Amino acid sequence: MNNNTLWLILAIILMFIAMSWLALSLPSHWKQVRSGKPASTRLRMIGWSAIFLSALCCFKADHASMAVLVWLMIGAAAAASIGMILSACPHRLKWLSLGSFAEGSKR
Amino acid sequence: MKFANTRQAMAWLHTWLGLIFGFVLMICFFFGALSVFDREIDRWAIPDTRFDPQPMPSFDTMLLDVFERTEPDVAEYNRLMPIYHDPDAGDMTPRTELPADEYWAYTTHRDPVLLMGIGFRVPTPLNTEEHNHIHGRVTIDPRSGEELPSNSLKIGSDWFYPLHYSLNLNWNFIGFYIVGIAAFFMLVALVSGVWIHRKIFREFFTFRREKKTQRATLDLHNMSGVVALPFHFFFALTGLIIFAAFYYLPVTNTMLKPLHNMHETIEADTTGLPHDRSGIAASMASVDDMVSEAKRRWAARDMAGEVGFLMVHHVGDANSYVSIYRAGSDRVSLVGEGIHFKASNGEVLREDPPHSTAESIAEFLTGLHLQHFEHWFLRWLYVLGGLLGCVCIATGFIFFTEKRKQQHAKNNSQGSRIVDAFAITTVTGIVIAAVTMLLANRLLPADMLNKGDWEKWIFCIALAFSFLHATLRSEPVARGEKNPAWREQCLLIAGLSITAVTANWLTTGDHLIKTIFTNPYWAVAGVDLSLLAVAATSWKAASHLQPETNKKEDSSSKAAYE
Repeated sequence: MNNNTLWLILAIILMFIAMSWLALSLPSHWKQVRSGKPASTRLRMIGWSAIFLSALCCFKADHASMAVLVWLMIGAAAAASIGMILSACPHRLKWLSLGSFAEGSKR
Repeated sequence: MKFANTRQAMAWLHTWLGLIFGFVLMICFFFGALSVFDREIDRWAIPDTRFDPQPMPSFDTMLLDVFERTEPDVAEYNRLMPIYHDPDAGDMTPRTELPADEYWAYTTHRDPVLLMGIGFRVPTPLNTEEHNHIHGRVTIDPRSGEELPSNSLKIGSDWFYPLHYSLNLNWNFIGFYIVGIAAFFMLVALVSGVWIHRKIFREFFTFRREKKTQRATLDLHNMSGVVALPFHFFFALTGLIIFAAFYYLPVTNTMLKPLHNMHETIEADTTGLPHDRSGIAASMASVDDMVSEAKRRWAARDMAGEVGFLMVHHVGDANSYVSIYRAGSDRVSLVGEGIHFKASNGEVLREDPPHSTAESIAEFLTGLHLQHFEHWFLRWLYVLGGLLGCVCIATGFIFFTEKRKQQHAKNNSQGSRIVDAFAITTVTGIVIAAVTMLLANRLLPADMLNKGDWEKWIFCIALAFSFLHATLRSEPVARGEKNPAWREQCLLIAGLSITAVTANWLTTGDHLIKTIFTNPYWAVAGVDLSLLAVAATSWKAASHLQPETNKKEDSSSKAAYE
């Protein structure tokens, strides 16, 4: 396995985690995983940061023009997968809904 | 028609344009998704070509010989020769005596076989301003120079691929225009869809499968449309851009023809590449040396690469020149960095200059659609994008009928019944047609006369069968119930797919253990695995469509997985 493949795998993992956090920032999805309400702003900020990091990994792996396409498409794949997980087995995302992402928790 | 607000007008537009053009777009998206792996499907369908991709072979020792023995196509000669030939100049030149005017050879990093073409010149043309070419085409095994049997059809690149942009309706290019209009309205449907979708962000990840069919289907429709929105938008758009000159501005071939021809001549003057033959015969220097020189120059620009496309213009004339283009496997943009040589002495006439920003953008946009690059992961993501498009359109159909069928049943209207039958044909029907074609390819004898034509007919018959079956079984829809054809066709897909994989094993000996483990050949293994995935998905869809459960699962459209 070469370095490019590793960067791509990292990009995919980051994108999946990012999409999970963005989904959990929505109260209706948070409720599927945990009680209470999410710290939406915090989740969104960290979610978008992970999307940005995922983009950086894509650019490390490929020529810039190709990286843009890979990044957009793994975004689509991750969003659809998270949607399906939330629909079929939302508890699988529980490990990403850390206590500090709940509303009212201390920073 | 009067609408209370813009949103309602947009909803009307989205519903009806989506319905009418959805049937065409389903074919574009599904066969477009298959085209991502067209070469691999070719390998599956033509077992003699199951070997590794080859670089462009030697021109001097192999290609020239093939070019010289290839003849003009009989059908094209019969159609075009009477048009091109000047009757006052005497009898038509017999087909096999037409002199060659141009040679080309084309390969990509995924091609074991090499596609070659020849443009033959009509010596006594009626209109001397025109190119007047009659073509010959041949595919060879680049290891031996032997031709592929002409009865074998490249199902991936010569049937599924053109199907997605021309519907294979070539009469007066009617299929190209239908697809062009459909792609345009795809863009309209995307914009109007986003407009009417109130909760784009709040429901981005929402699929409530436990809700009733109508609601669950709409969730899936929104999700598959929104998460892959950039894909849907850019593929419809770039598809239109690729054919833009053909769809919107065909003036260069009609009203502005003289200007177009003059532009060609002036361009030839500025580039120094002769536009016309000189009439003086000349021999050709070693093209292999020109290829090495081209590769050396690419390497000097820090972009070493293989030859993707090679063309000889004005064959056998003093004005003859050879254009050598680089294979674009390492980037998105389709560029080529062409280098042009004088054929008689191998002197470099011209190197294509770097392109302007506008040209670069156009090259990126067409390149991202045509995907000559080597990136297997991105290819699969494209398949996923195409299938998400299929899911989006299919759920649109289902939502349309779910919303209306009770009302239609009360009013004794047949509307939903007809839409549902068309939906079955374009969701499960096209999968049945594609898999039946692959199965027929394995069962018909390899040396059968016109085997490829039979395969095309079988594809069309399978599609017609699907429509007939969906129509004959559609009576329950008129009562507000579900058409049993959905489930039956899903089961048929599962059966056909498994049979196709088995037939491949029995007729070629290439079973999955061999193609994955003992003697890996991913092109064939990939098609087999995809067929098995289709079988599993459609089986699961069929089990969700059991008559006693009323919940309709949309995964039938996901069965459109290769």
